[in-house]
Amino acid sequence: MFNIFHNSNLFKWIEKLIYFINSIFFILLLVALSFALILSPADYLQGDSVRIMYVHVPAAWIGLASFSFIALLSLINFIFKIKYFSLITKSIAPIGLMFTCIAIITGSIWGQPTWGTFWAWDARIISMSILAFFYFLFICVHKLFSDQEIADRISSIIAIFGAINIPIIKYSVNWWNTLHQPASIKILGSSTIHSSMLLPLFLMFFVLILYCALIFLMKYKTEIIRIKKKNLKRL
Amino acid sequence: MLTTKVKKRAYLLAATLTVSVVAIFFILKSLSSNILYFKSPTEIKNSNDTNFNKKIRVGGMVKKNSLEIDSEEIKFTITDFENEIMVSYSGTVPNLFTEEKGVVAEGKLQDKKFFIADRILAKHDENYMPPELKKIMKENVK
Amino acid sequence: MIKDLILMNGYGVYVWSSFIITLFTCVAVYLKTLKTLKKYEKEFASEIEKLSVEKKKIVLKNSKIAPQVLSSYNKTL
Repeated sequence: MFNIFHNSNLFKWIEKLIYFINSIFFILLLVALSFALILSPADYLQGDSVRIMYVHVPAAWIGLASFSFIALLSLINFIFKIKYFSLITKSIAPIGLMFTCIAIITGSIWGQPTWGTFWAWDARIISMSILAFFYFLFICVHKLFSDQEIADRISSIIAIFGAINIPIIKYSVNWWNTLHQPASIKILGSSTIHSSMLLPLFLMFFVLILYCALIFLMKYKTEIIRIKKKNLKRL
Repeated sequence: MLTTKVKKRAYLLAATLTVSVVAIFFILKSLSSNILYFKSPTEIKNSNDTNFNKKIRVGGMVKKNSLEIDSEEIKFTITDFENEIMVSYSGTVPNLFTEEKGVVAEGKLQDKKFFIADRILAKHDENYMPPELKKIMKENVK
Repeated sequence: MIKDLILMNGYGVYVWSSFIITLFTCVAVYLKTLKTLKKYEKEFASEIEKLSVEKKKIVLKNSKIAPQVLSSYNKTL
């Protein structure tokens, strides 16, 4: 049924994709960085500190998106028991944790010159820290339980319940008074970021997504080799 | 295709998820005054149990033409376009602190209309644009 | 101009530190992932070397992945 997900076919594609991403990555990174740091204008109010947005916002998006994806696959895996899905979620989680932490750290660096403080206990920052905690739990479970099946089940449950936090993060700035500003880019309606600043934002997002894909593919490849090695021993 | 085992798992999950979403909703609702990072002038006006010795945060917009800066203190008015609170503060302010921009002041209420702050944070909005564009927009408004 | 780029009207410290932190973590995670991948490839290759000649033939014939892993391991040598 899941023929495309079958490891032996996938392996060839993973090799090709890793090669492809490696070959275009540096040029794209240079273009994105030059737009983000040099070519884009400074903000009328925040000045050059607005450039922190070009790493902060994509990192936060990736943190949120990858957790949503993990939760979705975990949900399907929990109900239908599809083994390959847990390999995928396991390979995504560390990248998600890394970008969530980057979002929190760059956010606090951005907070100092704009808000006047590194840290504020407002709803957006608390809920984002909870997300990092859920990632941490998810990864810990895989490290702690050597029995693959038990680890899969517990981590799926963590991901599914952790997903309740996602809409809370998204709407925290609308539901409560927060120091964090409301969303600039809305799912419906126009964005409140000028197009000359949207371009570097999306370029950086694209580059970081490519980076995520690269790490994910390498991790997934490692997992496949690990399984095959186990199978060799059984011969 | 759906076996009873699969259905059982799905129902179990759906039930526990619903229960926990409802539980979290009520927890957040009861905690909502603690989750609020700051209170607006209207919320302060309407609250009955105002504690004048406790540190609180008040937030809103810095009212136009209300900012007075002299060598000893900074005075301004926080407004949410319904009610206002006068704020007195001495110290440094963040770069983004100006009139008609968001502000959060941390300190103690003297009475319901007067607030002494010991820390000022700037809250900016979600609009980002180059300075030239802002100039053009301002001229158009005039 | 380069001075402007580094100072960024006083915001340079914040902007550059956040970009450098991001870049640094990305590179570190990439290198760590690459190292683990190479480690497993190497272990896999040595596992195969240890097998007897007949078994090796069977594995390489029946598994599609084993030859691919070996070739990607040999490429990096």
